[in-house]
Amino acid sequence: MAPLQSDMNLSDKVTIPTQVMARTVGDETVILDLASGTYYGLDPVGARMWQLMSEGQPLTAVCDTLLDEYEVTREALEGDILRLTEELRAKGLVSLA
Amino acid sequence: MTAHYAERAARPLAPVHEAPFHQWAFPDGALWTQFFRQGAGYLLRFPDLADFEVSADGASVQGYPAPGVSSPTVEHLYLNQVLPLALSRQGKLVLHGSAVDIGGQGVAFLGESGRGKSTLAASFATEGTRFLTDDGLLLEWAGEQCLIIPSHPSIRLWEDSQSALMHAGTAMAPPVSFTSKARFLAGKGIPFCDESRPLHRVFFLGDGASETPTIEALRPAEALIELVKHSFLLDIEARDMLVRHFDDLTRLAALPIYFRLDYPRDYGALVAVRDAIVQQVLDLRQAHS
Repeated sequence: MAPLQSDMNLSDKVTIPTQVMARTVGDETVILDLASGTYYGLDPVGARMWQLMSEGQPLTAVCDTLLDEYEVTREALEGDILRLTEELRAKGLVSLA
Repeated sequence: MTAHYAERAARPLAPVHEAPFHQWAFPDGALWTQFFRQGAGYLLRFPDLADFEVSADGASVQGYPAPGVSSPTVEHLYLNQVLPLALSRQGKLVLHGSAVDIGGQGVAFLGESGRGKSTLAASFATEGTRFLTDDGLLLEWAGEQCLIIPSHPSIRLWEDSQSALMHAGTAMAPPVSFTSKARFLAGKGIPFCDESRPLHRVFFLGDGASETPTIEALRPAEALIELVKHSFLLDIEARDMLVRHFDDLTRLAALPIYFRLDYPRDYGALVAVRDAIVQQVLDLRQAHS
């Protein structure tokens, strides 16, 4: 797995810019940036991460919740959360609180 | 499809000092449409062709041809480009798509310009299947059912599709000056369905890479992204309307009716494409019965 190039860490919280909205359809979530027209699809696990991080919890709390819900190691999950968050941030769909 | 439209006298397209808030360009970069704010309303400019003033609520449109541009050209632009945008400002849901009536069910074909929406609709119509629209697919909810509302009773086709599909003597609208697309009027050779039909199937048209007709189901989230991409929206900065639009599309995307359709862009293949589509429509109806 490629190393993560990021200045983010698990104590960070994210906020969702006002021009970004998400809708769940089926078991997936689509995020749309109204300003840029950028859209992004999340699978069910990504959608759950989005839901928890959009509640304003620090990423470490998001990780704790998901560890109870999915069979995954903490190390793998932390990597996934940071990777998704960084990707969303690069697209302007979240920013650091 | 309704907005109050009036064509005014020709006038030079005067420079606009503010920058456009949005614009459409052709794939080669040439400018097609500029969107300006004008008071509370909008000015839509088609360079060298016409200006259209659209009221803030999208209910009223005035067209101003550039000097030397014909009235049919301006009407053509109005019907195919400006009216769908004005309707979007009225809060209506309008998508880039054509549609036909197969056994009383509305079947829509969505795709970017050049993907074959009109050709496919014309291909059905010339074989006796009534069409509902050749672009500007207007949808309205009636309770739990989503309806396709018929639009202008004409089909626009490029020259190659005209010669491949249209019978000699099919009534044509006067030629226009910005495209070699001709507009064929509905009639005996191309029957039109003037009543709304339930939206039963949506096919997103692929790029023609497939060697045989292929149909694949889309997940709701994939369908939602495609619906966003194929929406007519006049004011991309009006947040309240965009939120409502996204909600409308989300509701629409939850219907189990979306497929990606690809086929070789060869007129000889259209019979097989039509057969595959009709089979899909019949299969779904049986599954629901």
